[in-house]
Amino acid sequence: MVFSSLLFLFMYLPIVLILYYICPRRWRNLLLFIVNLIFYGWGEPIFVTLMIFSTIVDYTCGYFINKYRETNKKKAKGFLIASVCINLGLLGFFKYAGFLTNTLNYLPFLNIPALKIPLPIGISFYTFQTMSYSIDVYRGDAPVQKNIITFGTYVSLFPQLIAGPIVRYKDVAYQLDHRRETLDQFTKGVCLFCVGLGKKVLIANQMGALWDNIRETGEMGWLGSWVGIIAYTFQIYFDFSGYSDMACGLGNMFGFEFLKNFNYPYISKSITEFWRRWHISLGTWFREYVYIPLGGNRMGVPRQILNLLIVWFLTGFWHGADFNFIFWGLYFGLLLVLEKFILKKWLDKAPAAIQHIYALFFIVIGWVLFYFSDLGEMGAFFQSMFSFGGAVITPDAGALTLSYLPMLLVAALASTPLMAKLYKKVENTKAAPVLQALFCCVVLGIATALLVSQSYNPFLYFRF
Amino acid sequence: MKKAYKFLPAALFLIFIVGMMVLFFVLPKKEYSSSEKRYLEQAPKFSFQSLLSGKFGEDFEKFLSDQTAGRNFWVGLSSYYNYAIGNNGSTGIYLCKNGYLVNDPEKMDNLSRNISYINGFAEKCPIDTTVLVAPSTGYICDDILPDVHKQYRDDEHFENMKAELASARFIDVREAFKKEYADGNQIYYKTDHHWTAYGAYTAYRELGDVLGYTPHTKEDYTVTSYPGFYGTTYSSSGFWMTKPDTVEVWDNPANDSTVITTITDNGNVTEQKDMFYLNHLEDDDKYPIYLDGNHPYTMIENSAASSNEKLLVVKDSFAHSLVPYLADHYSKIIMVDLRYYTDSVSQLIEQEGIDRVLVVYSIDNLATDTNLGWLE
Repeated sequence: MVFSSLLFLFMYLPIVLILYYICPRRWRNLLLFIVNLIFYGWGEPIFVTLMIFSTIVDYTCGYFINKYRETNKKKAKGFLIASVCINLGLLGFFKYAGFLTNTLNYLPFLNIPALKIPLPIGISFYTFQTMSYSIDVYRGDAPVQKNIITFGTYVSLFPQLIAGPIVRYKDVAYQLDHRRETLDQFTKGVCLFCVGLGKKVLIANQMGALWDNIRETGEMGWLGSWVGIIAYTFQIYFDFSGYSDMACGLGNMFGFEFLKNFNYPYISKSITEFWRRWHISLGTWFREYVYIPLGGNRMGVPRQILNLLIVWFLTGFWHGADFNFIFWGLYFGLLLVLEKFILKKWLDKAPAAIQHIYALFFIVIGWVLFYFSDLGEMGAFFQSMFSFGGAVITPDAGALTLSYLPMLLVAALASTPLMAKLYKKVENTKAAPVLQALFCCVVLGIATALLVSQSYNPFLYFRF
Repeated sequence: MKKAYKFLPAALFLIFIVGMMVLFFVLPKKEYSSSEKRYLEQAPKFSFQSLLSGKFGEDFEKFLSDQTAGRNFWVGLSSYYNYAIGNNGSTGIYLCKNGYLVNDPEKMDNLSRNISYINGFAEKCPIDTTVLVAPSTGYICDDILPDVHKQYRDDEHFENMKAELASARFIDVREAFKKEYADGNQIYYKTDHHWTAYGAYTAYRELGDVLGYTPHTKEDYTVTSYPGFYGTTYSSSGFWMTKPDTVEVWDNPANDSTVITTITDNGNVTEQKDMFYLNHLEDDDKYPIYLDGNHPYTMIENSAASSNEKLLVVKDSFAHSLVPYLADHYSKIIMVDLRYYTDSVSQLIEQEGIDRVLVVYSIDNLATDTNLGWLE
C-alpha cells in the first residue's frame, strides 16, 4: 500500500486512527503490529511471512546478544554476526541475486538460468533498521527489547516501512514503550503529512509526467534535455522527501518522533553538503555502521579514501541492483574525495553563486547516471545534453516546457527554505492554525482530485 | 480548551478522511459510468485464495477508486486544476477556444506501416481502391488551439501518404476542409473526435469526382438537429463545464423507403429500413445514430440508387456518418471494420462482385491502428 492512494487515505488511515485511539494504551503496540502487517501485506500477502521471520530472527539475536554481552563476548558476537548475515542474506537473495546471475552470465563458460525473484517492498529499508538494532544492542548503545510484540511493531512500523526514513532502534527505543500521544503532536503530524502529500502528488508526479513526456517526444534539443533532467531532479527529490515527510507526519499522529530525512538538499554549495542534506538517515547509517567501523579517517589518508570509496560503492549499490547505481555511488565517492582533499580550498573562496552552480551541476549529472540503467541510452542522453551546436529545443519539447513552467518554478521555490521562513513569521500568531488548515484542505482536495483521475500511482523508491 | 482553534488542521483532516470513508460505505454503488462508458468495479468476493494471492487487495483498491464518492467531481477538479496551472492538455485533450475539446497530436508511429499495408492491398486488388483520410481536428481548426500546444504535423503526413500510396487514389480533403472551416462551418464536433454531418458531407462532395458521381447539394437534404450530444473527448477530458454539441441527421427524402441496413455482428443479423438509429439519441454519446456505431459487417442496400455499382468501405467510425450520403449512389455498400472483421477482404470482393473499394480512416486512427495487417 502507498500513502498517496485512495485506499490508504480514505480507508486504511481513518480506520487505523479510530482503532488506535479507542484502543487501551497497553494494547496499542499490538494493534500497530497487526495493522502494519496488513499495510505491508496488502499487495503481496506472502511477504508478511518474511516480516514475521525478520522479527523473530532479530528479536532472538538481540535477546542473546544482550544476554552474553557482558559474560561471553564470543557468543554475543556470534549472534551479532548471525543477525547481520541473515539480514544481508535476505537483502542479497531478494534484491541482488538476479543481478549477480545476470552479471556472471557475461562469463562465456557460464549459463545460469535467469532468476526471477520478486522484490519485497521496503526490504532495503527494514533490513537496515533491524541490523541497527542488533549492532546497537551489541555495542551497548541501545537497550534490548524484551517484548516481541513491541519489537515487531518497530520492525514493521508502517509509516517508514517501505521507503524510510531508516529509523535506528536507539532513536525510538524509548518512544516504543513510553510515548504519549498529544493533540499538538497530532496536529503537527497532520500538517507534515499534508506537506508530504503535496510534495508527492502535486509536485513530484507532475515533474515525473514532464520528464516522461519530454523523453517521449524523441529528439528534444539540448535545452529540452536539460529541462527533462531538471524535471527528474525535482521529481526524485519531491517524491522521496514527500514520502519521508508523510512518514514523519504519520509517526507524529501515533505519538512517534522520527529524525528529519531531508534538509533542502538542492541549496547545497558542495557535494559534501548535499550528502549531509539528502537522505540523512541513510548517510548516518552508513557512517555509523560501515565508515567508522572501517576506521573512518583515523588510519591515514589512503585508507580514508579507500573507506570513502567502499561506503559510496555500497551506497550506490543499495539504491539498486544495477551497474548504473554503482557508477552513481562511486561518482559521488570520487567527488567527495576530490572536494575533501583538493577542491575545498578553492570552493570556499569562490562566490556563493559559483558554489551553488557547481553543486547543482554535479547533482543533476548524477541523476542522469541514476536514471538510465541502459548505458547506451545514458550515453545518448549525455550527448543530447551537450550538443550545443544542434537544436536548442524542439517545438514539442518547448510546448511541454511551457505547459509545466509554472510547476517547475513552484518546484524550484519549494526546494528552498523560503516558504518555511515566511511561515516562521506567522507561526505564533492566531492566523497560523487557519493558514495551516487552509493549506491542508487545499492539498488534500487537489491531491484527491489528482489521485482519483490517475489510478496508477507507484512510488519511485519502491525499486530500492 | 481555550486554544481549541489550534487543532483546526487536525479536525478538518479527520473530517475529510473519515467523511470520505463513510460516504464510500453509505452511498449506493454505481454499476455503470456513462461518462467513462464502462462498467465500474464492484465489491470483490472474498476468499482465502484471492487474499493470499493479493488479488483481493488489488480488486478492492479498484473497487474503492471506481466508487469513490464524487468521482466525476474529482476528475473534473483535476482537469481544471491542471488547466489553471498552465498545463492544458494534461489528459491528452486541449480545452480550446469556442468550447472545443481537441485531442493533442497523436504519435504517428504506425502510420507509414499501415499505409504500406493499404498500398500493398491496392496493388493486388483487381478493382480501384480510393483512400480518404480525415485530417486531425487540431490541424484544421488551428485558430482555436491554446497558445501552448504540440504540433499537428498533418501536412507532412499527408504528403508522405500521397507519395507512398502509389497504387491507390488518395483524396486529399485538407484544402476543402480548411476552406469550409474558414467560412464558419463546423467540420468537427466540439466534444467528440468525429467529423460533423457537415464535415462528412464535405468529404462526400470531394469524393464525387474520383468515385464518379454527382454529389447532391445541401438543399437536397432535410436536416434535423438533436441537441445534447456529449462525445468521447468530453468524457475523457474531465472538462465538465463544456457545452454539448448538436448532432444532425441529413436525410435524403428520396431514399426514405428504398434503403435497408443490415448489420451482422457476432452471428446476429438485424435489419432496419433506415440508416439512422435514433434510439441512440437517448445516450450522452449520440454519434452511433449513424449506422448504429461499430460493427464488423454492415450492409446498406438502396433499390433506388443512381447506379448499380457495389462499393466496399474499409473503415473506422468516421465512415458511419459519411456512408449515408454515399448510399444514394450505390445499390449496395458493404462496410467492414478490420478491428472486428476477421475474414478475407479480397474474398469478400470476389463473392459480392464489388466494383470499388473505399478506405476511410481518420489520421489519428490510421496512425495507431494495429489491425490493418489483416487487410488482404
